[in-house]
Amino acid sequence: MKSRVKIEDISKPSKKLTHLDIDDLMPLPPPYDKIEEQPGWKALSEDALENLETSLDDTIAIGIPKPKTQEEEKELVKKFLSGLEKLLTRENNWTFLQPLLLSLEHCAKCQTCTKACPIYEASGKQDIYRPTYRSEVWRRIVHKYLKPGGKFFGRLSHGDIDLNWTTVARLMELSYRCTLCRRCAQTCPIGIDNGLITHELRKVFSQEMGIAPKELHEKGSVLQLEVGSSTGMNAEVVKDNIEFIDEDMKDLTGIEVHTPWDKEGADVLLIHNAGEILAWPENPGAFAIVLEKAGISWTLSSDIAAYDGINYGLWYDDFQLGRVAIKHAEAAKKLGVNRIVVAECGHAHKALTVIADRVLTGDFNIPRVSAMTLLEDIVFSGKIKFDPSKNDFPVTLHDPCNMVRLMGIVEPQRRILRYLCPQFREMEPHGVDNYCCGGGSGFAIMSGHNFQDWRLAVSGRMKLKQVIEAFDDHPEPETKKYLCAPCSNCKGQLRDLFRYYGVQEKSGIIYGGLVELIVNAMVDIKQPFINFDEMQ
Amino acid sequence: MSVIQILIYAAVLVFLVTNITRFIRMASTPIHLRWELYPVAHDVKRFKYGGSFLEESDWYTKKLHKSMLGEIRVMLPEIFLLKGVWEYNRSLWLWSFTFHIGLYLLTALIFVLILGGIIIGPNIFNVEAGYGSLSTIGQIIHSLSYAMLIAGCAIGTIGTLGLIIKRSTDREMSSSSSFGSYFNLFFIAAIFISGLVFLFSGSAVDKLIKCYYSLITFQPMPNLGAAFAVHAVISGLFILYLPFTHMTHFFMKYFTYHKVRWEDTPNIRGSKLEKKIQEQLSYPVTWSAPHINADGKKNWADIATEEVKKDEK
Repeated sequence: MKSRVKIEDISKPSKKLTHLDIDDLMPLPPPYDKIEEQPGWKALSEDALENLETSLDDTIAIGIPKPKTQEEEKELVKKFLSGLEKLLTRENNWTFLQPLLLSLEHCAKCQTCTKACPIYEASGKQDIYRPTYRSEVWRRIVHKYLKPGGKFFGRLSHGDIDLNWTTVARLMELSYRCTLCRRCAQTCPIGIDNGLITHELRKVFSQEMGIAPKELHEKGSVLQLEVGSSTGMNAEVVKDNIEFIDEDMKDLTGIEVHTPWDKEGADVLLIHNAGEILAWPENPGAFAIVLEKAGISWTLSSDIAAYDGINYGLWYDDFQLGRVAIKHAEAAKKLGVNRIVVAECGHAHKALTVIADRVLTGDFNIPRVSAMTLLEDIVFSGKIKFDPSKNDFPVTLHDPCNMVRLMGIVEPQRRILRYLCPQFREMEPHGVDNYCCGGGSGFAIMSGHNFQDWRLAVSGRMKLKQVIEAFDDHPEPETKKYLCAPCSNCKGQLRDLFRYYGVQEKSGIIYGGLVELIVNAMVDIKQPFINFDEMQ
Repeated sequence: MSVIQILIYAAVLVFLVTNITRFIRMASTPIHLRWELYPVAHDVKRFKYGGSFLEESDWYTKKLHKSMLGEIRVMLPEIFLLKGVWEYNRSLWLWSFTFHIGLYLLTALIFVLILGGIIIGPNIFNVEAGYGSLSTIGQIIHSLSYAMLIAGCAIGTIGTLGLIIKRSTDREMSSSSSFGSYFNLFFIAAIFISGLVFLFSGSAVDKLIKCYYSLITFQPMPNLGAAFAVHAVISGLFILYLPFTHMTHFFMKYFTYHKVRWEDTPNIRGSKLEKKIQEQLSYPVTWSAPHINADGKKNWADIATEEVKKDEK
């Protein structure tokens, strides 16, 4: 049963600040509406409960070990506070200081943003998931502990809070209950950005305290910088894999492709999310076919990090973001390409094109463009012949937040779909008003303990509802339907979401990228490229 | 000079100095990384659906056009009709709208009364002879002031009381409200209600014009009665208090919208923007996490390129 949680409750030690019951969650449309058939979530293990900080809710994203002594707790609290202080200095945080100060000082607490948050809505309006909850905790700490006279004036005007280890540990976990989709920011009449505050809190934990989910840091950006990719593939392995994919493409389509590597002077350096190569090889394969058929001069790079477009620093650490973006730019500079094209990965789009735009200067500032635009140019160039009747099945489009709401790339992919997919329909809401897949900000790759259950039951719930409703004219599983999601992370979340709820079996929906639909519609392809039965 | 007069001068001075200082401080913060949210209003062509210049594969070869008119066109309904609240928080809109309209009317009244003080101030002391002795423009100012005062205070009272009730009864709003949230609303309610009391105390506009005439000419303000004194003191204290609160959002919206939400200027090689970024990349960093490897001397660029440099060796 949902209980009311006040802002100041975060500081009060208890077993759990919030407990979620499955029947509190937002109802789903049929045939997913029966609570007894919903998978729910596993309980945390005894080991986790004993050794890790688990007092926020029913899951853990980071798994912070419990401090052994009070001194250790005090030291961590001190570090957190020093990180907050650094966050508000121009030298340490020039990257986001202005928007952060604006969000610190001007919120009217009108809660307009709460209605926009898919996690808050899907959770059945649990107080702690309200976009303003963590922001308010942060504001109260800053005003009470960092402002002159804060113990009196801060407390009076902003409300009271106690800064102790319980507060810090819960806030740390709470900063990973938001997908940074920034739908809340879009609705704020004043322009306050709760997504930014979450992002900045994550930075304090990473940049000052060295704490971040291992999937994002150790197995993410660190691995990418050391080995070349967060998948663990080094250059040799990735080349082998791409060679296999080229062969598979020939077998499947009859079209011979040889993915070029490290071709100097190419027009385009294409950067995939390397996860595609392992999980959805048909995507890089389809890119190779389309680019070859269109006569584009292109290449992949085998330099460290340059064959993997991911940049997890975007979600938790400015320096990791900068390091990876510089690696990407350096590879492009070395090859002397005209432009970098970011393939179907939303956060890679935003990290390299928009966020790193003010990190990459001089020779590193090489034009970056979206694959959506390049694919649109190719589709409408007349260089490839298409037969849209090959895609004559219901298709809808998921808008990756990073690519759409946060970059304004809305129409190119739609123009392609309207042309190539006769039964294309929008889901509601869509475009810049879309809902996150529930796997944003790193969630899609975070599955430790029972976090995967939480992100599928709660953070992905709104997207599932939208997808099912988009096809409500054909609910029967016999009619095969395609959810186009031009983003690797979104696909990762959708894959897990579909398995969790049995969407393919119950509704006959599969998911995939955009380029696969393009290849599927090519006249030159004799067999269907999209295989509804084989897709998992 | 009366205490009220000194309070009003002090309040206006503090209001201007503090707000200008806050504006300058905010304007001089470093250029931040791009963090725009679509739709972006100055891209008039694509605003309707939220598109950007990044929808073109050769965007970097084209000159980008930003329409200030496009931004103004979006901001006007946002400021005067609270369009965002209407779209996303309909149950709050009526109270928030009437609250803001009340404030806007009383703010606009200040300027009308300044004009009134200049134009009919000297005559207002003889108005007992009849309003017919005022010029036509004087009569318009007088009537307009009366209408704005009564409408502003009445509408504002409705809005503020509505907001107090909404804030205290709405689960989401009440749970994140602090003492300060209610204090601000009661403070503003006191302005509106004392304004109404003053209005019904008789000859309110005459008194206000006398007050403004005295303020403009630095002449001693006559005794304008207890109801005026209460309203003037509450209003003066509020003007003094406002710059220290979140209510400065009335001008900070320039930054939240124009400088953050809609700030999509791409970094072009050799541009002033690039120069500024390079300067900021040389800021020293003191973050403590081991992987940052900062020592207080290394700058942002050193740290971000450290591994690149290592590889080059």
